[in-house]
Amino acid sequence: MVEGGGRGDSGDKARDEFFSEAQELVDGLGRDLLALDEGLKKKQPDAELINDVFRGVHTLKGLSGLFGATRMAGLSHELEDVLDDLRLGRIELTPSVLDLLFQAVSLYARILSAESGEGEDPGPEVEQLLLALGQISQRRTGSGAGVVARYDLDPALMGVLTEYEEHRLRTNVQQGLGLYRIRVRFSLATIDSALDELKAKARPHGEIITYLPTGAGSDVDTIELEILMASRASVDLLRTAISGPNIVIDEVRQRSGASAPASLSPSVAPPPPPVGAASVALTPAPSATHETGSPQRDRGEEAHAPPSVLAPAQSFAATGVAAAPRPVAAPVAQEMSLRSVSQTVRVDIRKLDRLMTIVGELAIVKTAIANLTDRARAGVTGGRDLAIELGRLNRTFERHLAQMQSGILEVRMVPLGQAFDKLARVVRQISRELAKGVNLVVTGAETEIDKLIVEELSDPLMHMIRNAIDHGIEQRDERLRVGKPPVGTIALNAFQKGNQVVIEVEDDGRGMDHASLVAAAVRKGMLTADEARELSPREVLALVFMPGFTTKEVATDLSGRGVGLDVVKTNIAKLGGVVDIASDVGIGTKMTITLPITLAIINVLLVEIEDRLFAVPLASVEEAIALDERHVRIVEAREVLTVRGTSLPICRLGRLFGLPPGRRERPRAFVVIAQVGNRRLGFAVDELVGQQDIVIKALGKSLKSVRGFAGATELGDQRVALVLDVAALIEEVLAPGETRLLASALEADGELRRIGRA
Amino acid sequence: MAALARVRGEKRAVRRAGEAGRRVEYLAFVLAGETYAVQIAHIVEILRPPPITEVPRAPRTVLGVISVRGRLVTVIDLRRRFRLPETPIDRKTRVLLSETGASEQVGLLVEEVQQVWRLASEEIEPANVLGGDQPAHIAGIGRPSDSEGTILILLDLRPILEQP
Amino acid sequence: MRRILVVEDSVSARAFVRAVLESPDFAASVGAGEGECEVVEASSGFDAMRLLPRGPYDLIVTDINMTDINGLELIRFIRKSEHHRATPLIIISSLRGEQDVERGIALGANAYLAKPFTPDQLRDTCAKLLTALEGVARSSEPPIGGP
Repeated sequence: MVEGGGRGDSGDKARDEFFSEAQELVDGLGRDLLALDEGLKKKQPDAELINDVFRGVHTLKGLSGLFGATRMAGLSHELEDVLDDLRLGRIELTPSVLDLLFQAVSLYARILSAESGEGEDPGPEVEQLLLALGQISQRRTGSGAGVVARYDLDPALMGVLTEYEEHRLRTNVQQGLGLYRIRVRFSLATIDSALDELKAKARPHGEIITYLPTGAGSDVDTIELEILMASRASVDLLRTAISGPNIVIDEVRQRSGASAPASLSPSVAPPPPPVGAASVALTPAPSATHETGSPQRDRGEEAHAPPSVLAPAQSFAATGVAAAPRPVAAPVAQEMSLRSVSQTVRVDIRKLDRLMTIVGELAIVKTAIANLTDRARAGVTGGRDLAIELGRLNRTFERHLAQMQSGILEVRMVPLGQAFDKLARVVRQISRELAKGVNLVVTGAETEIDKLIVEELSDPLMHMIRNAIDHGIEQRDERLRVGKPPVGTIALNAFQKGNQVVIEVEDDGRGMDHASLVAAAVRKGMLTADEARELSPREVLALVFMPGFTTKEVATDLSGRGVGLDVVKTNIAKLGGVVDIASDVGIGTKMTITLPITLAIINVLLVEIEDRLFAVPLASVEEAIALDERHVRIVEAREVLTVRGTSLPICRLGRLFGLPPGRRERPRAFVVIAQVGNRRLGFAVDELVGQQDIVIKALGKSLKSVRGFAGATELGDQRVALVLDVAALIEEVLAPGETRLLASALEADGELRRIGRA
Repeated sequence: MAALARVRGEKRAVRRAGEAGRRVEYLAFVLAGETYAVQIAHIVEILRPPPITEVPRAPRTVLGVISVRGRLVTVIDLRRRFRLPETPIDRKTRVLLSETGASEQVGLLVEEVQQVWRLASEEIEPANVLGGDQPAHIAGIGRPSDSEGTILILLDLRPILEQP
Repeated sequence: MRRILVVEDSVSARAFVRAVLESPDFAASVGAGEGECEVVEASSGFDAMRLLPRGPYDLIVTDINMTDINGLELIRFIRKSEHHRATPLIIISSLRGEQDVERGIALGANAYLAKPFTPDQLRDTCAKLLTALEGVARSSEPPIGGP
């Protein structure tokens, strides 16, 4: 019985590993394709990258087969064919082929979600893509076999080359590069880093074809490698560049009578056509877009492409679209999610080492406590001495515990780049679909944030970017007319600010016109014309976050499927963050997300209100000051406190929560000044109790409708304190148009007060 | 935890009884002078009330939250749900940690826990003997045959836990 | 105790192979007791070369398409080594490049298993090789010390 359970566990573990590895592979594919895209624009598609993509898909295929993910296996199978042809030079990498590869990556992501039980299986779209991929791999050409035979290579070496290595060898020889044999001896223990070093030295001078362990020497701790390298450099140059102990470089001689290799390159494909204007811009290529099968667009592609015997792109554009009721290059489906299904965090071993060190320190404290206990029991130590010793140990323990906490938090941290990589793909795809040139500029991808937050952030960010491209960035003609560069820019900036992480999505598009926002809101019946006149400029911009808001009468394919920015706002709020918006007509729009760095353990300020304890997350607390009632004024029915010459709206939490008065008389009160995004609010409380690190827990389902609390925490001695959701409270108090909610909340509290406490 | 052990033991007994003589076990408790009872299968644990933290803005029936071994549990006051008069917490007050399988664990505040009754189906009258439309949470009336004059109001916890 | 070296750069494929080959079913099929089959994982060719001297291994299972040292080169190395020239060796690869598999067999691999394979296929192939070739491998292989 126990053994059976154990076996099931290992199977489950393998399956978990599968999801996590597949997700990593798919993410890697996306990155490699983006790099390939860049290379293609510079007319230098990197052969190694194509091989990396091939290997990724190859591995995915093997894995999905092993774990019974048939949809994924099918896609990988067809994709592997195409990639195999690409890396072996049988077909040429064109922007259209690359498009299909990008599509495959987003389909992989959706299949993975479906496999793990979230989202729908994208079956029909996979079928479409398979069809298109099948068209491509029929277009093969032969490659020049036999050229390699001219070289004086050991037949034993040829016997261990994989098909790909053999192809690379052939291609390099055809292009006139010389072949070199590098013999080197490494210690087995350090071979990985030593080899990396050698690769780095060799890379600027050519391509390494293979590494062959010679098996020579009886020493089991070292290994001799024979490295076969293709290079244009002379043997002397290479000997200088790749010098080192135990490194011997020889030229592989050609057999006499062989003709110059450079003349034997009949099948080297012409370089692919350049795409778009700017080399870094993600410019749409007019292939299959949602304007299905528009002949004009297909002609456009022909006009751009130089004549080539290898034109899989055109054949795809014609047949793929014709066969499909829907375009093959389907728009990024609204239901598509960028959330990764992986629950795993890869951890730098050094971080774990530091944690182990701390565990060691804690073990020492434990021993000291045990010793002290023995001594106290034996009566050797007592009274005051015991207290002093315990106090000392307690301080040491607290210090190590704090280190442990921050160490574990650090392990949960991942760079935001994990989410940004996927967004780059989305930008590329959307800009192509909408035929708008968009350049994505990313800064601060290395900013670290809790893994859980990164996961939940992908979709809101995707939506904001989609929105910026669809509504913000103008068409090329319009941009030229107003004197802007034809290619629009979307900047994605991330940086840490105290205990918060700020992410900005900024576009240089047309900006938001206040009058049209108001008109749209009035037309939708969200507010009356009279109410509209009362709105401040900031409140007008905030209208875009209202449920159901849209300025477009005819929704586009992309943004009009019922998911609005209100969902973005809700999702960010769930993470304890806020979204702010700023916009200038004709100049652009900037949305700013402010988030806490982590969700798990938070430092809070405990406050007392009417004899009850509440916790305020310190991440959003600026300072706490004594409340001087003489400096409180009523402005527009809101209490405002003057603090060092500036006005601060204040909210009396006891009143907001409808708490019955406590038993104790309070001679004075305090104001906790909180800031989230660029909104500040002072919370008036009775007493400041102190700071504490807490683990926050969600309130149960039966309390999910209760607003204003992020959760609760146990304080020890079984007492529970509610943790304020500062962002939501600030929103509630300062945001317009929410008085109704407030009123109903007060009503409910009134009833509570009538019944009294049990 | 003796109380818990007792309840668990009773649960096993219930299962045996159910198989043999179709008897179901009910835990009886007091609310505002009346005796109510719920299927013991839905009771996880009987707790002395820990400090209860009130949740502002919560639904009227919610008394607050407590921490049970590190987990947050919402406590409901059945008297508020049934619109009965309330009395302060005293040494007889208990929280029944309940779970129906369909919802999360919820604590039910009761004034006093009495005893476990093993009822055969002929000892249970349907709710409509009370006449007309009875609320969904009234499962019936229990009249234990070995205890003349005892009346138990049998509660179905599912509607209560799903919509406090 | 049967020790099996699995060379594969995918962590989940290794986990899969380990789950199958360390199962009581597999142990029974090669006449070993429960828990008597141990899988040693190598994530690259170099890793495998580091682990080889810590043998002996009763069976080696290797992928072909790996970075740096490919599976073919590893097979050649293994067959040239003193202690593992006759150890049963299985190629697991999903490459349709038959050429790679042919070369692997030519270099001395004993069997080829195409990915994806079912647990049963893996179990059967490994069990067959272990029981059929075991005698040959053991007799030509002087035991070397140390774990």
